[in-house]
Amino acid sequence: MEPSRGLSAPPGRALGAPIAGLALLAAGVVALPQLTRDSYYLDVATTILMNLALTMSLRLQVSTGQLNMAHISFMGIGAYASALLVTRVGISFWAALPIAAVVAALLAFPIGGLALRVTGPYYFLITFAFSEVVRLFFNNFFVDLFGGPSGLVGIPKPSALPWFGRALTFTTKLELYTLMAALLLVTAAVLVRLEHSRFGLVASAIRQGDLLAETLGVNVFRYKLTAYVVGSLVAGVAGAFFAHSHQVLHSSDFGLEPMVLLVVFTVIGGTGSVWGPVAGTVLMTIAGELLRELHHYESLVFGVVLILTMLWAPDGLVALPGKLARRRRVGVSLAP
Amino acid sequence: MSIDLLVQALLNGFGLAMVYVLVALGLTLIFSILEIINFAHGEFYMLGGYVTYYVFAVFGVNYFATLGFAILAVGLAGVVAERLIFRYLRGKTLNAFIVSLGLLWVMQASAQLSFGVLDKPVPSAFSGIVRAFGLVISVERLVVSLSAIVLIAALYLFLRWSRPGRAMRAVAQDADAAALQGVDIELVSALGFGIGCALAGGAGGLLAPVFAVSPAMGALPVVKAFIIIIIGGMGSLPGAVVGGLLLGSVEGLGSLFMGSAAVNVLGFLVVILVLLVRPRGLFGGA
Repeated sequence: MEPSRGLSAPPGRALGAPIAGLALLAAGVVALPQLTRDSYYLDVATTILMNLALTMSLRLQVSTGQLNMAHISFMGIGAYASALLVTRVGISFWAALPIAAVVAALLAFPIGGLALRVTGPYYFLITFAFSEVVRLFFNNFFVDLFGGPSGLVGIPKPSALPWFGRALTFTTKLELYTLMAALLLVTAAVLVRLEHSRFGLVASAIRQGDLLAETLGVNVFRYKLTAYVVGSLVAGVAGAFFAHSHQVLHSSDFGLEPMVLLVVFTVIGGTGSVWGPVAGTVLMTIAGELLRELHHYESLVFGVVLILTMLWAPDGLVALPGKLARRRRVGVSLAP
Repeated sequence: MSIDLLVQALLNGFGLAMVYVLVALGLTLIFSILEIINFAHGEFYMLGGYVTYYVFAVFGVNYFATLGFAILAVGLAGVVAERLIFRYLRGKTLNAFIVSLGLLWVMQASAQLSFGVLDKPVPSAFSGIVRAFGLVISVERLVVSLSAIVLIAALYLFLRWSRPGRAMRAVAQDADAAALQGVDIELVSALGFGIGCALAGGAGGLLAPVFAVSPAMGALPVVKAFIIIIIGGMGSLPGAVVGGLLLGSVEGLGSLFMGSAAVNVLGFLVVILVLLVRPRGLFGGA
């Protein structure tokens, strides 16, 4: 599916670039609340951070050559699991968060195991079917548990955490931003480390030619399933955060529309690098917020931007600088 | 429960399913030739609906002439989309997904801006009901289903016997080998994409009087079409017909026992059951 790319940074050669990338991400995350405390900007920034966890984990799955359209469903599973654990079972958010993530990961085993028997467009459509089943399930079944079409309401904010004799609360927008920032930085560190490990190398080999990888003794299915389960774990964490920061859940929060946006962010950014989804998510969210001024023309312009970006930068935005540099050297055309 | 009721439910299910098969056939034809999934397919269906609204409901042209015009106009729009955009995306499933999504937004927004967001009702071209063997079916539904079957048969004959149809099947089998035999890939791609969209446009024209016309009308048939082609196997034309019949009968029978929301889940459950047994669909190749 992806054109073959050179391995950008083999492990052992240099961990400088990934560490610099993580430091840059951390600096940006820390700097933002120093620049503004405006609640609109904090809201957008928190959403970006949550979406970053989702797109970076989606890209982990894409890095083994598979676009999982059910990724958002595992966010939903994590969200509903955490909300119900807190409201029905009565445990604290801090216990519910890891349990919700594990629930999402455990459900990823059978669903991923089933879907990964096929590849390419078949996989794409099967995972899409799964996501619709999960969404319709939340919407139509066990209405007194999941809230049905009117949604699951009354989810409390994350409870306070004791911290050296004082209580850390998570009620204001700034505090929720800080919580999501911490969750994201841990997630990003794990995913970047994974990318520059043996796992990342094998994933890249599978993406470039899974048949060849298979003949070289790689258990392709196991790698794909691992990426699926780890990605779903991260999505479950994001879902638990979403449940307790929004405090209301609707099945449509985990439907086709938000899923499609995640794919847009990931692919526009570029799936060849672990930083592609970061570039895509940040730039496309800002572009989307700016385009909001255009009202009726918003989706029209957004659609045109998508088409042109994909025709001019088929490998995503992060591949663009290298492409431009090559063009300057050899003078080939950038035209599609 | 009487057997009449069951047959009636099946008949109701089949009627609409045949139109969704048209949408699915277009989608699967485009997939087999260009190896891309066109998410904006429902928007070509919507275009067919609007052509029908303006030509038939506003200008009062004969219904079947309108239908022919809708098929041609939407087919032409498909050729334009292929030449401008999709020909650069052959085989790039992921990129084509994003681009077709962009096209979906562009077409929906354009429809909202030019036609308004409100539903536009299209009057029925045929009234009355037919009674036979204790079954009741409206003339309109009968005409819609029969027209869909005629279009499916026409597509079959075209692909089976005509020269461009054979070229299309050759490209679907192996594009490189077809090119070596002198098939003009560019021409076949444009024609195939156009025919695929024309089928969606025809379906939109057929269902315009049944449902109202609106910018978002393409969402439902395209989801049904996806279910049908996953069941039948991507790229398989007989698979699309069998998948449509299966979905129609399951939904028709299901509506006897449960509400419409639960019936929607049923379609996806059939998908998962089929895929458990045959991961590439009933007629999917290796």
